[in-house]
Amino acid sequence: MDQKYIITQLVTLAIVAGIMGLVAWAKIPRATPALDEAEVKHRLAEDFPQAPLDQIWLAIDGAGAIARSGDEALLLFRLGDSYVSRSLAWSHALQADLIKGRYWFKFNDFAAPKASLALAPDWAQAVTGETI
Amino acid sequence: MAAPSAPAIDPVTLAVPFFILAIVLEIILARFGKVKAVYEAKDTATSLLMGFGSGIAGLLTGGVVFAASVWVYKYHLFDIPMSAAWAWLAIFLLEDLTYYWFHRLSHERRFWWAAHVNHHTSQHYNLATALRQTWTGGTAGTWALWLPLSLLGFPPAMIAIQKGISLVYQFWIHTEAVRRMPVWFEALFNTPSHHRVHHARNPRYLDSNYAGILIIWDRMFGTFVAELDEEPCRYGVVKNLGDFNIVRVAFHEWVGIFSDLLTARSLREAFFYLFGAPGWSPDGSRQTSTMLKAQWADMQTAEPVKTDPAAAS
Ligand SMILES: [Zn+2]
Ligand SMILES: [Zn+2]
Repeated sequence: MDQKYIITQLVTLAIVAGIMGLVAWAKIPRATPALDEAEVKHRLAEDFPQAPLDQIWLAIDGAGAIARSGDEALLLFRLGDSYVSRSLAWSHALQADLIKGRYWFKFNDFAAPKASLALAPDWAQAVTGETI
Repeated sequence: MAAPSAPAIDPVTLAVPFFILAIVLEIILARFGKVKAVYEAKDTATSLLMGFGSGIAGLLTGGVVFAASVWVYKYHLFDIPMSAAWAWLAIFLLEDLTYYWFHRLSHERRFWWAAHVNHHTSQHYNLATALRQTWTGGTAGTWALWLPLSLLGFPPAMIAIQKGISLVYQFWIHTEAVRRMPVWFEALFNTPSHHRVHHARNPRYLDSNYAGILIIWDRMFGTFVAELDEEPCRYGVVKNLGDFNIVRVAFHEWVGIFSDLLTARSLREAFFYLFGAPGWSPDGSRQTSTMLKAQWADMQTAEPVKTDPAAAS
């Protein structure tokens, strides 16, 4: 590996950093208003069109939601200025770890191993009587 | 016969300053509301670093790929001169046709999808997305699809240059800044509109518009889908990634294949996990794009088309 190659790579990385700075300055991501129930329904219907939603719990920061659809839990969580969805067994969702006010859900999927939602502490219990 | 040599010019290297300038312009023009473009910081970083890593990965496998092309050329059937205009027209068409089938294979069969999926993992569609390139394309072996061109008698350098031209062409179409090109251009060439559809995860748009430079192949082989203003493209993959980690972007589908193979109960299952359609599963518990499209079509007939402008947000 010659010196010229290494210099070219370093210059490329410097340009990447420069573009990052430009993106930070430009502030042109999508708007991310707090999710409401209608928006959650709309987005979950895109990804799980055949899943009827029994109940929706919005994250208190408006950056996600969890819905129950029979034996399944459907999750929607914000990533940058976009959203990602996953499903997991409802019984697994109830075992989410509560760490510093956020519930951590695991998906057994290398493409999205886990996600966290800032849900009210009694999110499932309040409605279903099930304990978390 | 003179020994075939590496191409004297590499269109991709020559175009890099233009790529950078175009990205900078797109961001600045969007900042001042002159064009439509959406950039998210971490998403952009991921795209650019994937491009950077792809350059390094390409360097490692590029030598082998070019050597294979040179080796096959030893047995070439016809003498095709690099100096003839007709030869450039022929390589333009044949390389573009090869690209179409490479790209179609890269979407329809999981082993090659694993190498290509990273290009589709951004939920954004801007010029930086164009640089979100594969790290594992050389390993996946799809470059072998170009070997018949060497066997025909196209000099390896000529093929390499045309492949570069195609890659450079495909850069500029990764933008929302251009709505539609003139009708004749949209009919003949791959455009921002056609390629937006290719990057969309809406069921209506899945598995379409595989073109490199010419869109005519999609029209010929039945994979063309036009962009509809009433159905804005939602970018990304069917199951979007959970974070911006570039290792995940580069390797997630390979890991998925590997863990599925560990659970395979027969050779048949192993075969389909490797070479079936992405989303194939023995019990049908996952969905392939064909299944997603069929489900969507069923729902369209069950209820009238409902389009929501909010879907574009
Ligand atoms: Zn593609
Ligand atoms: Zn693309």
